[in-house]
Amino acid sequence: MEDGKLSRWQMIAITVLRVAVGWHFLYEGIAKLSSPSWTAAGYLKQARGPFADLFKWLASQPNLLANADLITMWGLSLVGVLLILGLFTRLACLGGIGFIVLFYLANPPFVGYFYSIPTEGSYLIVNKNLVELCALVVILVTGSGRFAGLDVILHGLFGRRTPSR
Amino acid sequence: MAGDDEKVKKTPQTGAAGPRKLDRRDVLKGLSTVPALGLFGYAWHRQRQYQQARIEEAAAAPVAAGDVQEINVALLGAGAQGQVLTDAMLRIPGLRFRAVCDVWTEYNQKRVVNSLKKFKHEVNAYEDYREMLDKEKELDAVVIATPDFWHSQHTVDCLKAGKHVYCEKEMSNTLEGARAMVTAARDTGKRLQIGHQRRSNPRYLHSYEKLLGEAKLLGRIVTINGQWNRALTPDLGAPDRYAIPEARLKQYGFRDMHQFRNWRWFKGLGGGPIVDLGSHQIDIYSWFLGVNPSAVTARGGNLYHDPATHEWYDTVMTVYDYDTPVGPAMAYYQTQTTNGSQGYFENFMGDQGTLLISESDAHAAKVYRDPNAPAWDTWVQRGYITAPKVQEVKEKAEGVTDVRESVSPDEHKVPIVLRDPVHQPHLQNFFDAVRGKATLNCPSEEAYATAVAVLKVNEAIEAKTRLSFKPEDFTI
Amino acid sequence: MDGTLELGESRGGRDVRRFTHEAMATVFEVHAVHPDARYAAQAAQAAFELADRLEGELSRFRANSDIGRVNALSAGGSTSVSPSAMDCLVIARHVFDLTGGAFDVSIGTGLASLELDADNFMVGTTRSGVRIDLGGIGKGYAVDLMAELLEEWGLDLALVHGGFSSLLALEAPAGLDGWPLTLSDPADPSRVLARLSVSQTALGASGLRKGDHIVDPRSGEPVRRRRGAWAALPRPVEARAGARADQGPRIAPAAVADALTTAFMLLDPGEIEALCDRNPGLEAWILLDPADSRHGEASLLHFSGTPQAPPPAAGRPQPE
Ligand SMILES: NC(=O)c1ccc[n+]([C@@H]2O[C@H](COP(=O)([O-])OP(=O)(O)OC[C@H]3O[C@@H](n4cnc5c(N)ncnc54)[C@H](O)[C@@H]3O)[C@@H](O)[C@H]2O)c1
Repeated sequence: MEDGKLSRWQMIAITVLRVAVGWHFLYEGIAKLSSPSWTAAGYLKQARGPFADLFKWLASQPNLLANADLITMWGLSLVGVLLILGLFTRLACLGGIGFIVLFYLANPPFVGYFYSIPTEGSYLIVNKNLVELCALVVILVTGSGRFAGLDVILHGLFGRRTPSR
Repeated sequence: MAGDDEKVKKTPQTGAAGPRKLDRRDVLKGLSTVPALGLFGYAWHRQRQYQQARIEEAAAAPVAAGDVQEINVALLGAGAQGQVLTDAMLRIPGLRFRAVCDVWTEYNQKRVVNSLKKFKHEVNAYEDYREMLDKEKELDAVVIATPDFWHSQHTVDCLKAGKHVYCEKEMSNTLEGARAMVTAARDTGKRLQIGHQRRSNPRYLHSYEKLLGEAKLLGRIVTINGQWNRALTPDLGAPDRYAIPEARLKQYGFRDMHQFRNWRWFKGLGGGPIVDLGSHQIDIYSWFLGVNPSAVTARGGNLYHDPATHEWYDTVMTVYDYDTPVGPAMAYYQTQTTNGSQGYFENFMGDQGTLLISESDAHAAKVYRDPNAPAWDTWVQRGYITAPKVQEVKEKAEGVTDVRESVSPDEHKVPIVLRDPVHQPHLQNFFDAVRGKATLNCPSEEAYATAVAVLKVNEAIEAKTRLSFKPEDFTI
Repeated sequence: MDGTLELGESRGGRDVRRFTHEAMATVFEVHAVHPDARYAAQAAQAAFELADRLEGELSRFRANSDIGRVNALSAGGSTSVSPSAMDCLVIARHVFDLTGGAFDVSIGTGLASLELDADNFMVGTTRSGVRIDLGGIGKGYAVDLMAELLEEWGLDLALVHGGFSSLLALEAPAGLDGWPLTLSDPADPSRVLARLSVSQTALGASGLRKGDHIVDPRSGEPVRRRRGAWAALPRPVEARAGARADQGPRIAPAAVADALTTAFMLLDPGEIEALCDRNPGLEAWILLDPADSRHGEASLLHFSGTPQAPPPAAGRPQPE
């Protein structure tokens, strides 16, 4: 960011990216909320890779699992809404990154873990989760909410007074 | 968030000094992505509508799931068929297995108890069904798959103990036994379903209701033929180490292990292949024709097996006469156990078409239109049958079109795919009836009429003459 | 694929009775030693009926089989399956993992999208279009169960196979240290590659005739890496009838061997060697295509576990 601002078109593109990622999160969350029987148990039980045991253990703890389910469903939805609206954008990005890291680790396409190859494509280390995570990093560091999003208004109302140049 | 401020300083639009102030531009920019949320809401709404419609469609089809009251069931007779029924019942929601009763405690009983355990049904095991009825007070229903000669006693006692009963065909090996079952069902007011499972098979129901009933595709049915041919197999045996002690065998009416395993072949215990296999299909003859037979002629004998170990006929060929409301009809049926050629099917032939139907997918269900019959386009459009398979005109080697002896009829398929085990819909119908949500597809009165028609075949073979039925033979 | 594994001349074979039955689009055979011909026939018949029952549950060609229902699932759907179908799917996934996807019962349509709830015998899918074909494992599984049934009947000296591509040898007939078997060149069955003598061992065989190829599920490409592959696994004591607790997954060595041979047609020799090293008792043979091997002749490579592993139950092959 040091060497210059982003152009207007660049910012618009990033805003579109933000809304798209937000849309995806929101639907992931809402779809789970509206399916009464959804639980992360299946996903956790099938965890592979270095942290598989941790995830499987989580799946076997009914209390923890219930919390994990709630947090996942509501968390995904909330992150989604915030990203679309451009509200608390950076916080939302951090939250989203957190979720994706968890999903990624539950099924990492690391070298030697060939079995977790998602079958709708072929991945090595980088999979779609990781790409979405990178998108969130871009949104995070460009502060897209301040360009187009409720953060603009928020900042206008409560932001620290800034001296004229 | 310190970094934020730094960046913001650089952006001209918020860089204005002085009191905090939002200009119109800022507000517009701030709200610029809100419509995306609206769009999401709309898209989601549409998606929900679509899903809802799918769910309603699914619910409208058979029984709606949901808050069904749990039915406590017991299995009486855990042999080959008892195991098949158990597997099917494990797929039906809302059932709780409580008990299994079988006299072969060493083998069959253990197998079923263990497989139920896998599905988390903890059951009590009994050798004597009376003890089970005494102890298992909370039972709602009993599913009976013991040898035919036990059916009547088992069914009557279970009904009298206040249980609903699903009893395998053949209802009983004697007509007195079958009559007692019908009466007991009437007296107790409990449901009694007999295991002629084709009566609940979607393929048969569709053919009966839509193809014969509504579309009348076959016109007037004049002849029927059907068969169940089975390849030669060794007699059933049992692992030596699980043999039943002789005293127990005698107690339950069996001479020895051979008879215990092969009861079907013995007089007084079963009825031979014609009763074992034929009753499934002869049941369909009367159901589809809408009348019971008026007479039966039959030949049969032990052409292959040793009558000492196979008392009933290994081969039977029989002809039934029917007086249907639209005129006379005749039906042929054969069963033999030395060659399985073509397996089992029923073939209904009318003046406008033919229906070839079977429980087995090998023949599935097909209808053939007679070339002179009115067009079936309407029924194809409604999805009752598939579009006809195009008949190729065969060319001879010399390139001359073959002179065909008769125009081969168009072949249509009956587009019904059964995705469940074949006994599941019939059991489901029984449990729905127990819940008061359906009427039985094969109540004991219907099955009694079939028993009358089928058991008469063995009589006719012995009498070596044509035997006729009176309409009142079929009612109680 | 048949004919690459054969029962050799059994010297003491006079009392061995043989029974045959068609199921799963192949021919199953039971070879057993028993004094009572009728009893042995009844036991074999019970085993064949079991194979028929399994075909009804596992065949993808039957609309109302467990696999037929699984294949009809759309995204988000689930269905209950029989314990046998669940066993096969669990083993299939295990071998998929072991072989880096070279054995894939979904042939690339998305095994990873299937959710297997083995406790409740439910199979769900997170996407539509997953197509399971248990062709590479079902025969082996049937052979395992049939062998257990024969033991239950007291036929301990027996051998069962499905089309000679999955085979399970129980105890050998008296006077023999094992059931004599030969591995032969699929392209030229008269060319015997190795002779084995086995008992309490599962064997799987895959082979390609001239012009055949198989599809690599990892790439979707038809390939022809080698002409034949065989896998042998000792049958653990726990797999014997009555030895297993009724709960828990079934130990099915023939199913595993069946699945492994399919993978061995594709895996690099190095990967196969690594697998054998990691799994004591596992033995593999691959027959390279002449184009692939050094001398321009189809040559047989043999792999077996590390020396410190317990001696495999399969006898040592003596190259011809
Ligand atoms: N609907 C169908 O498609 C179909 C198919 C096969 C059999 N069946 C019917 O199912 C019934 C059973 O046939 P099967 O092939 O399972 O026979 P089977 O001999 O395999 O099984 C009968 C079982 O009943 C047990 N038994 C016998 N007498 C008993 C008693 N007094 N109390 C408790 N248990 C007793 C036996 O130990 C055995 O386990 C028969 O009526 C047969 O006609 C129906």
